[in-house]
Amino acid sequence: MATSLEAGERRRWWWSRRDALEIFGIWAVFTVLLIIFSLTVPRALMGEPASTTMRAVETTFIVFTVAASPVAALVWAIALYSLLRWRRKGDWTPDLDDDGDAIRGNRTAVGLWIGVSSALCLFLLVWGLAAMQAAATPTSARNPLVVEVTGNQWVWTFKYPGEGGGIETNQLYLPIHRDVVFKVTSDDVIHSFWVVEMGIKVDANPGQITTTETTPERIGVFNVRCAELCGLLHADMETTANVVTPAQFNTWVQAHQAASQASAQGSAP
Amino acid sequence: MSTATVETQHVAEPPAGGIMRRLNMGTAILSGLVLALLGHLIAKSTLSESDYLSSQINIITMACWAVGFMAGIGAFVAPVRWLRGADLNHAEESFLAGKDQGVARYFRFTTDHKVVGIQYLVLTMVMLGIGGTMAMLIRTNLISSNTGFLGPQTYNAMVGLHGLTMILATIIMVTGPFGNFIVPIMIGAKDMAFPRLNALSLWLLVCLVPVLYSAAFLGGIPMGWTGYAPLADQGPGGVDSYLMAIVIFAISTAIAGMNLTTTVFTMRARGMTWNRTPIFVYGVISSVGLALPAFPMFMAAELLLGMDRGLGANFYIATGGGHPWLYEHLFWLMGHPEVYVIVLPAVIALMEITAVFARKPLFSFNGAVLSILGIVGLSIMVWAHHMFTTGWATGMNGSFMLTTELISVPTGGLFLVIVGTIWRGRIWTTLPMMSTYAMLWNFIIGGVTGIYLSDVPLDYALHGSMFVTAHFHYTLMGAGLTGAIGALFYWFPKMTGRMLDKTLGWVSFWLVQIGFNVTFLGMFMVGLQGQARRVVHYDSLFTSGNFVSTMGAYAIGTGMLVLLYAVVSSWRGGEVAPINPWGAKTLEWTVPYPVPLENFEVLPVVTEDPYGYGHPEVPAEPEPIPEAVPVGASSGAESSTSAAVRK
Amino acid sequence: MQASSPNVARGCNVRRFVGCIGTVLLGALVVFGVGYLLHQRPAPPQNTAVVVRGTANTSQGTVPHVFVHLATYPDSLAGEHGADGGSEPDWVSYGPTTGLTVPAHSLVTVTINNYDGGEEITNPYFARVHGTLSGAATVNGKPMTRANPDHIGHTFTLHAAPTSQTPLFVSVPLPAVPDSRPIAKGHAYPPPNVVTFSFMTGSAGKYVWNCEYPCGDGTYAKFGGPMSARGYMSGTLTVT
Repeated sequence: MATSLEAGERRRWWWSRRDALEIFGIWAVFTVLLIIFSLTVPRALMGEPASTTMRAVETTFIVFTVAASPVAALVWAIALYSLLRWRRKGDWTPDLDDDGDAIRGNRTAVGLWIGVSSALCLFLLVWGLAAMQAAATPTSARNPLVVEVTGNQWVWTFKYPGEGGGIETNQLYLPIHRDVVFKVTSDDVIHSFWVVEMGIKVDANPGQITTTETTPERIGVFNVRCAELCGLLHADMETTANVVTPAQFNTWVQAHQAASQASAQGSAP
Repeated sequence: MSTATVETQHVAEPPAGGIMRRLNMGTAILSGLVLALLGHLIAKSTLSESDYLSSQINIITMACWAVGFMAGIGAFVAPVRWLRGADLNHAEESFLAGKDQGVARYFRFTTDHKVVGIQYLVLTMVMLGIGGTMAMLIRTNLISSNTGFLGPQTYNAMVGLHGLTMILATIIMVTGPFGNFIVPIMIGAKDMAFPRLNALSLWLLVCLVPVLYSAAFLGGIPMGWTGYAPLADQGPGGVDSYLMAIVIFAISTAIAGMNLTTTVFTMRARGMTWNRTPIFVYGVISSVGLALPAFPMFMAAELLLGMDRGLGANFYIATGGGHPWLYEHLFWLMGHPEVYVIVLPAVIALMEITAVFARKPLFSFNGAVLSILGIVGLSIMVWAHHMFTTGWATGMNGSFMLTTELISVPTGGLFLVIVGTIWRGRIWTTLPMMSTYAMLWNFIIGGVTGIYLSDVPLDYALHGSMFVTAHFHYTLMGAGLTGAIGALFYWFPKMTGRMLDKTLGWVSFWLVQIGFNVTFLGMFMVGLQGQARRVVHYDSLFTSGNFVSTMGAYAIGTGMLVLLYAVVSSWRGGEVAPINPWGAKTLEWTVPYPVPLENFEVLPVVTEDPYGYGHPEVPAEPEPIPEAVPVGASSGAESSTSAAVRK
Repeated sequence: MQASSPNVARGCNVRRFVGCIGTVLLGALVVFGVGYLLHQRPAPPQNTAVVVRGTANTSQGTVPHVFVHLATYPDSLAGEHGADGGSEPDWVSYGPTTGLTVPAHSLVTVTINNYDGGEEITNPYFARVHGTLSGAATVNGKPMTRANPDHIGHTFTLHAAPTSQTPLFVSVPLPAVPDSRPIAKGHAYPPPNVVTFSFMTGSAGKYVWNCEYPCGDGTYAKFGGPMSARGYMSGTLTVT
């Protein structure tokens, strides 16, 4: 670290320099730790995906975290190293003590940094566009189930226009492995229709129909939440999405059809 | 403030100032209240009954308060003189600048930029205190899944007011105190370009504080700080407070932004070319310059909202021909530049600090400037990434994803500058320097999580969840507030003449930083698990993450209170600071404390940039020495820098 | 980190320590004080425990049977806000309480006297009866499975089902009282429409209910005012 050595040190290759080597070591350790983190923690928190969409979302999340790992590790490694080795210990007087090297820039470092960050940026962009493209494959050609979702302050209601002559209900039932298109709107303020485990979300805007689509791939009971603050009972604007077998779905449709018709034709004083 | 020295010179006869002598914060509040009451009564008795009546009365009352308050503080004294074909004379200008007034000048329409800077600092601390109190209550409510501590109405109002308070406070927290106090000295100017406008911008902010919190007594705000319509159309009177506060804030920001920009562009010391201008100055003008186009958008959004609520204009109501997306666009056209308005000056203050404490020149000054320009330019083109899930023009999602991800390149540039400056430095780990390290940790996390949110399919899954809340706290608090606190540690000796208590500073630093990471890592956790934002109670699945978050929040609260005590006690009786305790080379460290009214006896002349640390390998080309002699700045210094250290 | 200078007096350190702790305590006190004030207002609904009156035979066997009596008024004079109507006497309200506590796994029979008029409901779904026993309700003794969506006074819509508790969804419209119905002498309101329905509770949990007929104020969607304030047109149902 002595100043007299610095000029000599600069001429050597970086891997023969102690500080660069040690930083490289810390960087490697950090990168490995972060990649282990990326491969384990997000998936554990986000849970087993319940739809093809969510599966893609989790993959993207993991890939991005892995891609960011070496960058974050580099910054943190240099920061940590500088605290360990380049720190001035004890009391210090600004005018008596030595300054650092007057390094005002380094074309190689700047060029490399810009190059790598641009490449990473390009990678993220291409990945994102590809994922959007994959999600945008029209499901309309595949006989999707259409569900019309209406947000009211503070209840979701669902209509199945194509099933059993039209069902209107507060329950969301979906058959497994069948594409589903949600057509979402609102009767009052903005809500946001979010099926958590399926990784889909779209706002319910008054006077506007927005769509989102997915394919459920796991049987179970999942959460539907409102993701846009919509007033007093926003936190209670929740319901469940029940993914069932096609046979169970048909049974449910028939039961509801009967109930809906009874209700629609029932007595109104 | 009690350490402000009372100068005991004899006041010239007759006393200058005229009516201004009688005006202060007290008369301002009085006249504001009187006019508000008058306006309220007149509106109530003359306006006809309709659905919009209560909003009309609220808006008129608050507008009257604002006018009355500003009249009472003396903002209109000079304009009235102009109308009468005159202007203030020199003695009156001096009075207005706070000459020989002691502590009283902090409660007047004082034009001295140093007084305004201190006023901004105190105002920021008050607002952070209010917002922090609300944060503690929010976290207490969320300590377990269904505490019932706050009702849903109170909780929603508190979430909104916490957000807005913190946004307003963080917008002013660097450019207000340090932009006003430090920047004019840093560039070698005697004051701001428009000293009266400077005072005006500050007092407008003071004026908006009661307007904003009147929301708490008018039914609260139901729609969060973003104020989305049409929920805002439906909301109680508190929404009128919200929109009036924003309108006043936008006026204040426009005035302050124009003033600071003009000052920096026209009043830099002789020889301070753009490549000799300290990087912090770039940080401040990029922030206020970005605010110039951004906040009028917000103001327009709120004026339209006011017309919706007060006149039934239906700008945001689909059944009336309007559209809620109009509000969202206007809001985010402000909202995304705004996060850079907050983050840029804070991070760049840390850049300035890094060069001083690494004892090295700033790494790649030009790279830093280009990165700042890149961020400023891109930040106005990314707003719709907040609207991926709205359903608006889904075909454009790809382009907004592109602009958003592009911003990571210049942001990476900021990291490179800081890391490059640290590289092989002689690191002096003072509190300001450690704030840089804290920022490097926090802002990496905030930045990387921002990249997830810029990816459209990922955003569909994460938008509106606690993940987003954690992400922007990592940027605005982890980078922004950390940077501002670092700047406070750094410039405290210059602003108060005292050193900040080191021991308490360290206690606070670690409490806040550890608490911060605990809080928001916990929040990332529940966000990924699927907890929505702004919910008063939640599924028991999220209990452990929320509990961790709340514990972290208490640590932050404790740390901030320790910092408050450190600031107040050091200000009152801390160790007296030398002129240049850090051995920095920027101009503000050449002036004594208290800084004279016009900063410099003789304006300094700058001959090189303020980063002349260390020994350059290749001696720089000798600068042609300007004809004017730099007095009081460069004499006896080891180099020719004008900002050399006085011993 | 530099060591603090040695000449700092011990007394100064003590003072600093005490001042620091004092500030933290003072801050905690402020937060506690503000929290205490806000915790009290707007006052949460008084939780009224409904008393079990006998048992009922249902498809799920013999279960406790409880009866809830509510009413909806065009003002707040008869609700939980006191005889003077509290701060907003003109707001429509449910009464006599909006906080209900009922036992788990029991039959709940709700009777609501609707004294209020009304018009068209926003979402006709809520003009029909959902989630009650046998999917029906009675109005003035006559069976009802749906009401005229153009003449709805209010609705009683019970919901919120996070996964950790038994889902519960009940929605019953309360037909409007026609404007032409005369007010008997000595009464404040015209004779009400009496709506009765029953539903089964599951295991313990916390639910909310609200009105889905746009009867609040605010210049948009009529969901402001009493619709967006606790204790008027919404309430809680706690299953214990």
